[in-house]
Amino acid sequence: MKAEMNKLNYYKQSGHCYPELVEKQDGVIVAQVKSNLWKDDYTHINNEFLRVLKEPLKDGIKILFMANISFHPMHGLSLRIIDIDPGYTLGDLEKEKQATIQKLQEEGIFNKNRSLPFPLLPQRIAVISVETSKGYIDFLKVIDNNEWNYTFFHLLFPSLLQGENAIGGIIRQLERIKTVLEHFDVVAIIRGGGADIGLSSYNNYTLARAIALFPIPVITGIGHATNETVSEMVSFENAITPTKLGEFLMQKFHNFSVPVRQAQEKIIDKSRRLISEEGTRFQGTVRMFRSATEHILIKNKSMLRALSQSLIQQSQFRFRNERQYFIFIRDGMKRNALNLWNNSSGMLSNFERNIRNMDPKNVLKRGYSITLLNGKAVRIFDEVKEGDQLETSLFKGSILSIAMAANKSSDHE
Amino acid sequence: MSENINYKTAFEELQVIVSEIEQGEISVDELSAKVKRATELIKICKDKLTTTEEDVNNILKQLEG
Repeated sequence: MKAEMNKLNYYKQSGHCYPELVEKQDGVIVAQVKSNLWKDDYTHINNEFLRVLKEPLKDGIKILFMANISFHPMHGLSLRIIDIDPGYTLGDLEKEKQATIQKLQEEGIFNKNRSLPFPLLPQRIAVISVETSKGYIDFLKVIDNNEWNYTFFHLLFPSLLQGENAIGGIIRQLERIKTVLEHFDVVAIIRGGGADIGLSSYNNYTLARAIALFPIPVITGIGHATNETVSEMVSFENAITPTKLGEFLMQKFHNFSVPVRQAQEKIIDKSRRLISEEGTRFQGTVRMFRSATEHILIKNKSMLRALSQSLIQQSQFRFRNERQYFIFIRDGMKRNALNLWNNSSGMLSNFERNIRNMDPKNVLKRGYSITLLNGKAVRIFDEVKEGDQLETSLFKGSILSIAMAANKSSDHE
Repeated sequence: MSENINYKTAFEELQVIVSEIEQGEISVDELSAKVKRATELIKICKDKLTTTEEDVNNILKQLEG
């Protein structure tokens, strides 16, 4: 028979179950029957389920079962379940999973959380887990005691993590986290340490949808070896174990820290190089300046020496020239002066001779005489009057006479 | 920390300085100032890695309210 096991109704004390079997059409129960699952049968069947499905017998699964019909005078008709085929239920669960995936894809939200930008430093973590869970402890061990002193802030939002109650529990905590969203960078759903059972709730549509639509990245470390659940598929990052999830976060820190360190090294290296290059360039310039100035100094010094030598030579030459010219002039002057003197003295002796010829004594010597009146020479006849005493000067001696007459002589005209 | 700067911004500014230095766009005159700024930015980034300012009590109060 096939039916949906609405309620398992497991009693811990007796170990017996009283499953409530129903048939639904469009979510409405159309048939219903009570059943018994005795302790030994339950144990056997449950173990088979755990082995095949990784799920225990639980509420809300479809089963293919074998049963005896029994009747009890007090309790009436009921089915006694002898065996349940886990393969049938497995197929049903797988169908549910595929349905969830398809629905999320149709709504276009399957990749929504995965395409959020991941924070550069996922430092503040809202953890959905159980305080006593080994997975939670493993996770904290990785992020709280790291050798690089990376500091995380995390706050636990406790929830059941397996079985049917995990769905509502996780969704409720996601809602709580939303109210304090500004304090967190990521949400981490962490489970682990237990057996791989009760994970089919992670294929639940409502839970997977809540994760896919969550406004900040959700990362999961559910810790199991079975197939990936839909909740993990839609999460931003799914690590196999909580430890691996912690390491994923550490890696993000490394990704940030390494470039910072590289930047630091680069800056140190480049700055040193820049300074040393500048120093070399400066020294080069100094060397060039020194050699250039030395060159100029040497050039000027030799030029100066050449100039001073040429100045001495030129001035000596000039002096010599001037001296010769001076001597030449001096000699010329001496010669000319002598000539001049010779000429002049010749001229003078002519003059002297002429003058001597003109001396009255010489004239008188030749027989001429001078008539003086009162000591003055008489040249014209009318200077003399009758009776004037005249003195006649001769070459030798003189004659005193008295004028008899003074006439204009015609033959002297 | 004297400066309240987002680590993303700090990191980006740091990268800018690195690329400037790498491409030789920084003269010796500016070098000192740039290196000083880079040192501050590196400190900011490193501090971000090793400190957090969140307060549990504050969040819990907010959750209860």
